[in-house]
Amino acid sequence: MAGAEGRGPAGAGPVVRDLAARVRPAVAAGARALRVTGPLAGLVPGGGIRRGATVAVDGPPGTGVTTAALALAAAATAAGEWAAVVDPPGTLGALAAAAAGVDLDRCAVVRHVPADRWPAVVAALLDGVALVAASVPPRLRPGDARRLVARARERAAVLVVTGPWPVEAAVRLHTEAGAWARTASGLLHARGLHARVEVHGTPAPVRLHAAAG
Amino acid sequence: MTGRAVAATRTCCVWCPDWPVVAHRRRTPALVGVPVVVRERVGARDVVRAASAEARAEGVRRGMRRREAEARCPAAVVVDADPALEARAFEAVARAVERITPRVVLDRPGRCSFPTRGPSRYFGGDDALAARVRAGVSAVLGGAGDVRVGIADGVFAAALAARRDAVVPPGGSAAFLAPWPVAVLFGDDDGGGDGRAQLLVRLGLRTVGDVAALSRGAVVARFGAPGEGFHRLARGEDAGPPVLVTPPPDLVEHVVLDPPAARVDVAAFAAKGLADRLLARLSARGLACTRVVVEAETEHGERLARCWRHDGALTPAALAERVRWQLDGWLAAAGGPRGEGAEGVDDTTGGLTGLRLVPDEVVPAGGRQLGFWGGDQAARDRADRVLARVQGMLGPEAVVTAVVQGGRTPAEQVRWVPWGEPREPERPPAAGTPVPGGAEAPGWPGALPPPYPARVFVPPVAAQLLDAAGRPVTVGGRGEQSAAPATLRSAVLPGGGGPVRAWAGPWAHDVRWWDPRARRRRALWQVVVATAAAGDVACLVAVERGAAGVEALYD
Repeated sequence: MAGAEGRGPAGAGPVVRDLAARVRPAVAAGARALRVTGPLAGLVPGGGIRRGATVAVDGPPGTGVTTAALALAAAATAAGEWAAVVDPPGTLGALAAAAAGVDLDRCAVVRHVPADRWPAVVAALLDGVALVAASVPPRLRPGDARRLVARARERAAVLVVTGPWPVEAAVRLHTEAGAWARTASGLLHARGLHARVEVHGTPAPVRLHAAAG
Repeated sequence: MTGRAVAATRTCCVWCPDWPVVAHRRRTPALVGVPVVVRERVGARDVVRAASAEARAEGVRRGMRRREAEARCPAAVVVDADPALEARAFEAVARAVERITPRVVLDRPGRCSFPTRGPSRYFGGDDALAARVRAGVSAVLGGAGDVRVGIADGVFAAALAARRDAVVPPGGSAAFLAPWPVAVLFGDDDGGGDGRAQLLVRLGLRTVGDVAALSRGAVVARFGAPGEGFHRLARGEDAGPPVLVTPPPDLVEHVVLDPPAARVDVAAFAAKGLADRLLARLSARGLACTRVVVEAETEHGERLARCWRHDGALTPAALAERVRWQLDGWLAAAGGPRGEGAEGVDDTTGGLTGLRLVPDEVVPAGGRQLGFWGGDQAARDRADRVLARVQGMLGPEAVVTAVVQGGRTPAEQVRWVPWGEPREPERPPAAGTPVPGGAEAPGWPGALPPPYPARVFVPPVAAQLLDAAGRPVTVGGRGEQSAAPATLRSAVLPGGGGPVRAWAGPWAHDVRWWDPRARRRRALWQVVVATAAAGDVACLVAVERGAAGVEALYD
């Protein structure tokens, strides 16, 4: 990503530039990315998630982990694609999903997944939907996780994992506690979602600290 | 056999008017003799699906809004439409007709037909056959409803003859059809307002006879292939394209159910995959199916079979729906109270061990309607396939989709529907919820305002909500709290909870106060807890019968 910029065709001779223009794919990888809207747009590198990438979101409960994953799922349904949420405890709030922009018609939720079937279920879903958001079961084997990353890349599907992810990911979001305040009418509202972002594939992980929303 | 031309088959049509009403009356005898309105939801509208003769006399019509129907006939009992009940109840009628002839074809619950050639000769003419069918079905209905029998050349003419309870002489179909308004060519029942019917009227073609008088070439030139279809109907010929293809014998799809399926949903889940496979294989050969035989075998070796017909090619959803209705009829007869079927007819005695779908009549596929974006359809098919596979791995209830509906708490406002089943809310959606078409619904008093929590616990996770003195916070009869919440402890919060930094509420709910058995009283607070592990965490706490619980977490 950012690290590849120094070696691009801009610094090469005219013949190479011409050649690069000729062999450029008709649809660039960037154009096939799922565009993220809403509060996360400013946090995700390039404003979108490349198809085939793995995004790991983690943080303590109550800091916006689920909301961040739903905002990414919304990017898939907004593009007219299908999304699946793997939610073993069965506690996902559908109203929050709708509020995050997820089209509920095109979002399937898989519940009550035993921990030992989790890798098989996620692998099956990656075959058919554009984005799978899954909460990681405890004691996931790194080998299984690595196979899923490869599967997502091969199928050009986005894998969003919430919880401790044992292997590498293209983008990592760490959510941190946000601020809550009372509005004039006495209701609570969130001041924003705080997250720290690491982008993999650059020489040293870029750390952004941003508040959005 | 391939490519034979078919003349209009002499057909007998059995029609039970207002079948949804009759089905409800058979289940609930108290409804006999009182005006009944069966309502259904079409999109966001609440409309009349069927009305009894008493209600129609007061001006209630099909497709009318429910509110208007209630205004015209305030005495009417309004019941919800139940397609499964209708199909189940019609099974008794189908069995009564089946005692006269084996070749019964179901069009939909409420109407079935069969070719008359053999039975008519056996029973001594069309009139004798019609009288026999009428007597047989009336005995089953037992005063709960009316039955009409029509005999004519062709399925379409027979269906109209059934409305008049008439026997049209052989060769007389065209003359019988001529005076009907053109709307009957498109509408199923009332022929209400189809755009094509209105177009024909604007062109000066008011009756079926006017359409039949045109030359076929002229109609096809103006309306294309659909024009040929309705022109054939108008001339009293069979609707189907003139060429029927003999179904290839290897297209039969079957599945063995082990353990035997005694519940409708289990069998219907297997049938859905069967229907998809059958239609996929037919379409690979460029064929579409207009009539299908559903066959089942029970653990006691009984064989059941029923033929369903559909105007136009069956879609996977339409086929799966018909198979589900049929299974409902068979399995409910086994599990439900005896006597719902006709006397002397054997009910199913056990679970189903096998299912077969046999395409009975196939036609060349006349092109399939794809979504405007072809890729969208492909993506939907791919998603459907993998989700069905995951349902196979974990069970049908493991893959669900959310439907937003009315309610006060985040848990009540969502209904989870297994993937592939109709997405319908149980309660009307509330105003202001993020759902299209819900704007006209009234709001739910006391509903919690947004933001919506991303984690909802059903049932709530046990918690302790304490005031500054360490006593549990309670709510009085008027919804006022005993003291301000100061501490919240629960296993679901990081670090087990901590002091309350801010709170809003309480929202006091008196749920179903009119029903002493189902009444529930509870109060909810939005609480922000300062935890040592994760900073400020917001959650929703409910107190009911003195016990507190975390209902939801704003994650």
